Amino acid sequence: MNDDPSLAGELPGQGLFLIQEATHVEAHERSEPLGVLFWTCVGWIVLNVLGAIFANALPLKSALFQDYNNINVGPGWHHLFGTDDLGRDIFSRVVFGSRVSVAVGVGAMIIGFGIGAPLGMLAAYKRGRFDSIFTTIMYVLLAFPAIIATIAVLSFWTPRALLKIIIVIGLASVPLVYRVIRTATLNVATKDYVIAAKVQGATDRRILIKELLPNIAPIGVSFLLIGIATVITLEGALAFLGLSVNPPTPSWGNMINESRTVLAQNPWLVIFPSAALCLFLLCLNFIGDRLRTHYDVTEVKL
Amino acid sequence: MSDELLVVKDLTTTFTTNSGPLTAVGGVSFTLGQNETLGIVGESGSGKTVLSRTIMGLQPRRNVTVTGSAIINGFEVVGASEKAKRQIWGTEVAMVFQDPMTSLNPVMRIGQQIDESLRVRLGMDRASAKARSIELLELVGIPSPVERYNSYPGHLSGGMRQRVVIATALACSPKLLMADEPTTGLDVTIQAQILNLLDELKDRLKMSVILVTHDLGVVATRTSRIVVMYAGRIVEIGDTRDVFYHHRMPYTRALLESSPKVSNHSHTRLQTIPGRPPNLMKLADGCSFAPRCAYATDQCHNVRPTLQAADETGHYFACWNPLPSNRGVRAP
Amino acid sequence: MLKYVTRRLALLIGIVFIISVGSFYLIHLLPGDPAVVILGTGASPAAKAALFAQLGLDKPIYLQYFTWIGNVVRGNMGTSFISQSSVAGTIRAALPIDLEIIVLSQILAFIFAIPMAMRSARKPDGVIDRILGASSFTLLSVPPFIIIVLLVLIVSIKLGIPHTGPSSYVTLASDPVGNLESLALPAITLATGSFVVYYRVLRSDLIATLQEEFITMARSKGISQRRIMWRHAFRPSSVALLGAASVNIGGLLASGFVVQYLLAIPGLGYTLISAINMSDFLLVQGIVLTVSVGVVVINFLFDFIINIVDPRISRE
Repeated sequence: MNDDPSLAGELPGQGLFLIQEATHVEAHERSEPLGVLFWTCVGWIVLNVLGAIFANALPLKSALFQDYNNINVGPGWHHLFGTDDLGRDIFSRVVFGSRVSVAVGVGAMIIGFGIGAPLGMLAAYKRGRFDSIFTTIMYVLLAFPAIIATIAVLSFWTPRALLKIIIVIGLASVPLVYRVIRTATLNVATKDYVIAAKVQGATDRRILIKELLPNIAPIGVSFLLIGIATVITLEGALAFLGLSVNPPTPSWGNMINESRTVLAQNPWLVIFPSAALCLFLLCLNFIGDRLRTHYDVTEVKL
Repeated sequence: MSDELLVVKDLTTTFTTNSGPLTAVGGVSFTLGQNETLGIVGESGSGKTVLSRTIMGLQPRRNVTVTGSAIINGFEVVGASEKAKRQIWGTEVAMVFQDPMTSLNPVMRIGQQIDESLRVRLGMDRASAKARSIELLELVGIPSPVERYNSYPGHLSGGMRQRVVIATALACSPKLLMADEPTTGLDVTIQAQILNLLDELKDRLKMSVILVTHDLGVVATRTSRIVVMYAGRIVEIGDTRDVFYHHRMPYTRALLESSPKVSNHSHTRLQTIPGRPPNLMKLADGCSFAPRCAYATDQCHNVRPTLQAADETGHYFACWNPLPSNRGVRAP
Repeated sequence: MLKYVTRRLALLIGIVFIISVGSFYLIHLLPGDPAVVILGTGASPAAKAALFAQLGLDKPIYLQYFTWIGNVVRGNMGTSFISQSSVAGTIRAALPIDLEIIVLSQILAFIFAIPMAMRSARKPDGVIDRILGASSFTLLSVPPFIIIVLLVLIVSIKLGIPHTGPSSYVTLASDPVGNLESLALPAITLATGSFVVYYRVLRSDLIATLQEEFITMARSKGISQRRIMWRHAFRPSSVALLGAASVNIGGLLASGFVVQYLLAIPGLGYTLISAINMSDFLLVQGIVLTVSVGVVVINFLFDFIINIVDPRISRE
């Protein structure tokens, strides 16, 4: 969101030169803090991830137990978020449901970055034939609408399971990760200090790890967070369409799907998982965006 | 003074920046007559571009404060609304921008860009605007103007683009043409062509021209008067002859010595000016040039000199320890 | 320009070929004997023979592909063994609904995004820009399936507007007004997601464009702010906008699937999900192929339009 023009850009000609110089010094003097909102978002994400990991250890009601005496109960002391149409505790289901989102977000991005990032870095560093072959392949794959490919593969590759979903989404994200990392590396690889390191006889491995990696890390991390948010949205849509993990295992997406039929009677059933999902995505996007502007990285789109 | 086309008085341009106000132009005054060419000379960062834009009211619309006065043909630019200024832009005053690579809209045909002024400002219909545009392209020396009319800027070389920029500026026959480093972005061989073109057009169209440049060689033969700027202020002003041969301000001499001359012996070392132009955020109270000046005294560091008259009429300089007057010494 | 177009066209053909191979191969992702999976265990030998004949399952795989692609090119995607109807016919009936939703949503998105981005770009960091920026950023994190559910909850259930709820789709031919009502919520949902993207892309591009020297030059001609914004700033910036719209197409289709699924609107998305749930694999394959090729072709057309709008691109 930091695309507001700095004053420098508004000044013509010579003025520009002077003010760039002036603000440049200034920017180094005060390293801008990331802000309270940023750390609140980080806190929320950490809380969610911890909740997902330790859900079993938490003093929660069962996410699967069907209490037919308490169906479609509104939020209250006994059931914090109320119960669904089968009498299951919504709060527990929201907490347990985060596991699927967190698992898909992290798992798919491990695959996407695990394959896409090293390839992208190598292609940008080596250039030549290696680069042109991989870039062409990725370009072709990128043209393939990823969401439709994901739906197609998941609909044929039955029975559906979390691991398969993670693999399919992860593989679908590889070309994008490749493109972002390759572009970022290209920008760094042509800098003088990298050339200097090469001239001094540093090994490729050393240059890749010591010179390139630290410099593309901010872009990578920021893209990683926004990527996780995108992947979680995709899983949510698949779950909503009934193409993700099978019920009764709760996920935010399939809870929203299940709420369709009782929308009029029990709106809480859609509101809580929706709020949980949106808040999680908002925090991820905000952290990613804030890091991007903090390190002054130009916009990357997923 | 009524025959003066432009009267600039105590013009000051201050930018509001994150780290405080920045005065890019500080209290500049001068006048320009009809059909006269004035050179504004200074290093990068001396405020000459900001000055030329402020004179025509073209400074950025936000975070800028302008005080003083700039009257173009009776119109007070300072304080005028954008809407009012549009009435004089193009018709009274126009600008030739520095870099023809960036000053033409890359996705509009050249013809459209010239037509626009004619149609919007002069109310011409499509056909006569096109005819006039082609005439203008021919006037600025573009070969096969009918074909070029439909070209995009990207299809033209830098020199050709600058000719288009000039044609656009001339579209509504302005009385004052501001040329802001019009040749900086061009090849040396093209530079002279463009400058000669400006000269010739000035006489043909009876315009006044302000030629902004860092290159004294450019203004030497083409201007009648010269303004030398340093750190946003005029440090010397006078007839071109006087500034070249009877300058009193050490900065002017430094500037002259740092530009190559044909009369130099081969392998003559050019003089460089020690130090760097000052940071306009942190200007001292005294003369801005003092930190780089060999003649500076305590007075120079603490009290800012004002313009004072030299021996010649219309020649002023701002210096506490001016170079001795060489009046009487024969110009080489 | 011609060279550029032929190069892109060659790439397009290559991509379409790869998509067709991918779609064809989907059938073989099915676990076990495709005949059993497609027809079920209790299929009659006659049905099995018909399937083998249609897919050429007894032939080598590359021959199967050529048989299949030959039929597809002639507009024959086979006959569904579940519904006994022609796959191509089913797709032809459903496709217009998707197109209508997408067109409506894009009109809405552009109507709001362009003026708002212009407004924001004129005074970056002003009050209006900050409000629009914060709200668009928040909307960015609301997935379409949540938007549509909330819209249905409010508009259809709480306000009771007719034809907006699930299973109340009205065809265009029978009742144009009712049709518009029944597609309003889908269009708004898709428009929201697009609006956010278009607004943000156009805003940041306009801000960058407005810094350009040619804008100052346009200003120095004495033309109005309005003309500067539309004639000089918008056109170079619209390249980024078209690019965003092009990338957005795949996402729009997926969002379309979601809204159709919720509201039981018989477009491609609803048909696709029903086909998946009924294991109608030939129909799924047909829809995947149609949609993927459609997206790629639309992207190609966008590329072409962008080229006309911005003459800088094909030269680079």
